[in-house]
Amino acid sequence: MLVLTRKSNESINIGDNITITIVEIKGNSVRLGIKAPAGLKIYRKELYEKIKHENLLSSSLLMDEFKKINEALRSKND
Amino acid sequence: MIKFSTTRFGVLETAEEKIINFHEGLVGLPDMKRFVLIDYKDTLLKWLQSLDDPDIAFIVAPPDVMAIEYSIDLDMTAKKYLQLENDDDFVVLVIMRVSGEEIVTNIQGPLVLNANNMRGIQIVLENPKKSYQKTG
Repeated sequence: MLVLTRKSNESINIGDNITITIVEIKGNSVRLGIKAPAGLKIYRKELYEKIKHENLLSSSLLMDEFKKINEALRSKND
Repeated sequence: MIKFSTTRFGVLETAEEKIINFHEGLVGLPDMKRFVLIDYKDTLLKWLQSLDDPDIAFIVAPPDVMAIEYSIDLDMTAKKYLQLENDDDFVVLVIMRVSGEEIVTNIQGPLVLNANNMRGIQIVLENPKKSYQKTG
């Protein structure tokens, strides 16, 4: 991994179109400003990993589980 | 008509215009780009079956069946991607699964579709407090 030291208000460029700026450093938090082309998706990593994990868990369910959810929905709406 | 095989439902056929295109795949599943919805008469619950992998299918439903009220503001990226003509003209589906006796609804990573051009995207919502709604 490339490790760079930057101060507040300094930036790094990734390629030609992405700029990451250190907006504020406060205690152990760093606020980042990210300038990137529209269409490039930027996520907090833990959130991305959570949705990915959830997708993998949800992708291999069977008919029994479908029925189970359906019954739960029915009893909820009765 | 396009024929494709599935693990759960055998060989299926669909009209091309019924295929939903997730050009960037789903989060963590970038190769899963083409899906069809399998509807049932007596329930709003549907299967979202992949055409790219016979094993992959999700159980999905409109969020209101779970009494989830969403106010989703799509960002520019999503709007552009879906090629929305009107900002509110999209359909939302949530992915559901079973965990033990509980039903888990992934409300943090809903699927958003443009029914006019059959483009779809999975968006990631930031608010972690509302991430999963569980019902017994």
